[in-house]
Amino acid sequence: REPAQGGAERSGEPCHQAVLTPLRELHPHSPSHPTPQGWEERPPNGLPLPSFLPGVLSHLEKLEARAHELALKEEETKQQRRQKVARLRARIKELRQQRDELKMKVSLRQMAVRADAEPVQTAKMREQVLLQWKVENVEAMLHVFYLTGISGKLTKHGVCFCLSTAYDGNYLDSYYLDIVIKQPVRIRRHSVPIFIPLKQIAEKYLQTDIRCFLTTLSAHLNAYVGRKYQADYLQKHFSAFLGRHWQTNSLCNRLTFNYHVTTESSTFPFRVKLVYGDLDRSLPTEASDAPASLLEKVAAHSSLFTHMALHKAFDTFRKAAENPDDTE
Amino acid sequence: MESNIYQVYEDEIQSLEEEIETLAREYENNQLESTLYSDEKILMPVKPFQRESHEEYEEPEFLPDLKAWFNSLESDLSFLMKFTGICPENCSRKTLEKTGNKAIQNYRLSGKCHSLPFDLEFQLLETQSEEGTSATVTDLSIIMESDEYCDISKIMSRAEEEGNLLLFFRAFSNFAQWCKHRKCTFLHFKVVC
Repeated sequence: REPAQGGAERSGEPCHQAVLTPLRELHPHSPSHPTPQGWEERPPNGLPLPSFLPGVLSHLEKLEARAHELALKEEETKQQRRQKVARLRARIKELRQQRDELKMKVSLRQMAVRADAEPVQTAKMREQVLLQWKVENVEAMLHVFYLTGISGKLTKHGVCFCLSTAYDGNYLDSYYLDIVIKQPVRIRRHSVPIFIPLKQIAEKYLQTDIRCFLTTLSAHLNAYVGRKYQADYLQKHFSAFLGRHWQTNSLCNRLTFNYHVTTESSTFPFRVKLVYGDLDRSLPTEASDAPASLLEKVAAHSSLFTHMALHKAFDTFRKAAENPDDTE
Repeated sequence: MESNIYQVYEDEIQSLEEEIETLAREYENNQLESTLYSDEKILMPVKPFQRESHEEYEEPEFLPDLKAWFNSLESDLSFLMKFTGICPENCSRKTLEKTGNKAIQNYRLSGKCHSLPFDLEFQLLETQSEEGTSATVTDLSIIMESDEYCDISKIMSRAEEEGNLLLFFRAFSNFAQWCKHRKCTFLHFKVVC
């Protein structure tokens, strides 16, 4: 515990180590948390001060403060180093995990599930990746069922069926029915539009043959969706042929509109009324064209409308207009 | 001294990142072709594996939920197969094209419907838009032999022409059920006579 007089003489040298005795220990009655400022405020008790001591003390204070600062800086650097190392380690761990998962996924895809597969990773990771693969597998299979027209999901009460609809290969809206399977079978909720005769179909089949109920309903829904698709498609892509009066109902089973057909240099206007008598079909059962000058053309059109989709019929008109030599 | 350690760590990080990139590319390539399984091999419940090493690995929180999700999907699938009678045995799907928000996949689907075998191939075009995903079936070809199915050959060729999977499955399913009933009836008479 040498007094730092020697230090005062070597004041030119920087002092890095905090080995200087804290000045408070030289003065036993000083406060327990001394700061350099604190020293300035409290004069030492009961000790005679030599005249040069205040200078030495202030110098020592400065050195102590500096040492303290440097110690803090070093602690900070050490901590930063530790944090950086921790970050790098964490990143490595994360990347290793990612790599191992990918390795497993790749190796699983390349070979079928084999009990003797080389254990590459830990059990839990392998189980997780395998599980994810199985989930993907089952989800894809369920998507295939959606494509077949009838799919569904088991519920607490029974089944929520999903009837998919399509026309011309295009998948359109899906309709849902939440059904209670236990007797008496009933429909809890559904998204079938009200103009579809759901009640009649249910009365006929629901209690006795759910499968038949669903296939009949599916036929109605698909036909409705098909008629609507044709009408919308016609309005969108053949608007040049259509006149102004377009009448239809929600079920799209009665359709009346004006159209005109151009042959050579003349245009012939028509007004047609289409009735789709069979609700489970998307072709009309009756087509009545308003009387026009060329009765043969009217007859030809009527049979066209009852035998092919609306937009395909208009396609033939378009082709006939473009190639006038081909018309009869 | 410390810079050495950093260098070592950073080298490892870089090599891991490169490895991950290679594996991800490989996985992407493998995704283009995959076969789906529907038999017991895959539908078996996930059995717990033996612990192989004592490496630390925190159990991810979603694992039990994923298991529950898988079990519910699997029961949905087996219900649908029993209910509709459609049992796909082999379904392979190959991505032919994937650009932006469009994807074209080639499906080969074969299996049994009420014990009658079917075999189809079709292409599915899926387009993503703001309203959702739209799907279109094109190039449907029905591969089964048609001598047994001459009764429904007209409907089958119409379904094939229109790319109408729904019509195919509805018609084929009805036909297959009818065949089953017919067999039962004949068997009954055979026994009686």
